[in-house]
Amino acid sequence: MKYIILGILTIFTLKLSAQQKQFSKDDNGKLIYYQVVDSQSVSKDTLLQRAKSFVTGIYKKSMKLVSSTDSSVLAKGTMVIDKTILVAGHPSGEVSYNFVFEVRQGKYRFWLTDMLFIPYQRDRYGNFVPTTTIGVPLERTPGKLGAGAWKDILSSAYNKVEKFGDEFKKYLASNRIGKMKKKTETISTKKW
Amino acid sequence: MKKFLTAIFAMASTTCVLAQETESSPLEISGSVDTYFKYDFAKNPLNAKTSFVTDHNSVSLGMIDIALKKKTGKASFVGELSFGPRGQSQSIPDAAAGGSSFNIQNLYVNYDFTDEFSMTAGYMGTFIGYEVISPVGNFNYSTSYLFTNGPFQNAGIKATYKFSDKVSLMAGVFNDWNVYSATRGVSAVGGQLMVAPVEGWTAYINALSGAGFGGYGTIVDLTTAYQITEKFKLALNAANYDIKDSAVPGSYAGAALYPQYAVSDAVALGLRGEYFKFKAAGAVPETAFTAVTLTANIKSGGLTFIPEVRLDHNKDKPFFNKSGAAAPNGGQFSLAAVYAF
Repeated sequence: MKYIILGILTIFTLKLSAQQKQFSKDDNGKLIYYQVVDSQSVSKDTLLQRAKSFVTGIYKKSMKLVSSTDSSVLAKGTMVIDKTILVAGHPSGEVSYNFVFEVRQGKYRFWLTDMLFIPYQRDRYGNFVPTTTIGVPLERTPGKLGAGAWKDILSSAYNKVEKFGDEFKKYLASNRIGKMKKKTETISTKKW
Repeated sequence: MKKFLTAIFAMASTTCVLAQETESSPLEISGSVDTYFKYDFAKNPLNAKTSFVTDHNSVSLGMIDIALKKKTGKASFVGELSFGPRGQSQSIPDAAAGGSSFNIQNLYVNYDFTDEFSMTAGYMGTFIGYEVISPVGNFNYSTSYLFTNGPFQNAGIKATYKFSDKVSLMAGVFNDWNVYSATRGVSAVGGQLMVAPVEGWTAYINALSGAGFGGYGTIVDLTTAYQITEKFKLALNAANYDIKDSAVPGSYAGAALYPQYAVSDAVALGLRGEYFKFKAAGAVPETAFTAVTLTANIKSGGLTFIPEVRLDHNKDKPFFNKSGAAAPNGGQFSLAAVYAF
């Protein structure tokens, strides 16, 4: 029994520490996830090509390329936010965002902003679907009744955006992300 | 308790392990719990002519509803069970268990052959109508005459093709209404055309013909909702049901309009105005109901309080007044608490 209690405490501790991270605000007071990355080993053209490929290939189901130049990529996207009960959960909504990528020789930056939340509701078939098509800006100040739930949404959104950012940086550094298949090692049993 | 927690951890861990090996979504667990107090203005519980919210001057139970969903690759399943009056004796033809068993709300498997084409087989919430059994899926806590008299669930197999985000078509074959296994064979065909002409506006044109309530019949249904502004939403449900044997009572027609306005992030007000008539059948004359329901939704996290006032009218006096005499009007106040997780 003590191991179960220990397990529950660990989960709550992890959850609490996750909630401490939050978005920054830009000059206009909008929430923003902003990253500047040094990348001396990869050329500007390659970085730009990989950024485009990330949007139109890896994330093609949830992102749409809006425009691109020889030093920037503009895209729109959505990401699903999960509600967690212990270690299982279900989607609680989606966040739409604008994605901007700019590159110079030796470094690049990207940011996600204009984030809008659309809550999900379970439909008659047990699937979680958007309740509306009009999103609520993540910057809004919720009323007292919804403050707790909104805090969870912000925390969950940040975690998802941070994960997205990590995958993007990894892809631009190596042209691959963690979930790509590893080559299976071949073992010969003929000689030993 | 220990075994229960261990089982949950084991199930979740298995899910995590599987997720690392295949394209697999985590196991989704969701559900709801609801309870209510209702006061009938004539102090007569028989004045409730639609589903659920039947008790008078009582803090009563709705149901606990638990749903599981899992997707692995292109295959997925949904299993949803409910326990409590709303999901059991008041909800289904649960005669075999005397209304004391659980109710399966959804139990089906789905396979996405492509991003556009999928097939589903099993027992599913009906595709007919605007309102549903789960209180989480409705704005009003009490239900409409259209909901009460239409199908709740359909067992069958259906194919859905999504032409675009704005148009999709479903067609399928089904058992008779609300049964886990067919009593008259797989004897109904149904279809649904979904169109979304502009952003925020979705319309479903539904038809189901075959074995149903009162024998064989055909129901045609329009369900549409339009989020006109951030705060204002308007929905409409209209349906016509004709039983093949015109001497059998049960054919109906009706329409319900649902304007809803969000006063704030946490508070929304909604009205349901409904006209509904049972058609004449043999010696049974036509009779018509009108009903107006004013509802508020007050949300705090997963909890929603739903105070509601409902007034019903029928000139044929199916209601009762305080002295027990037949009356043309019925009225009730209810306060429900619904928690969704």
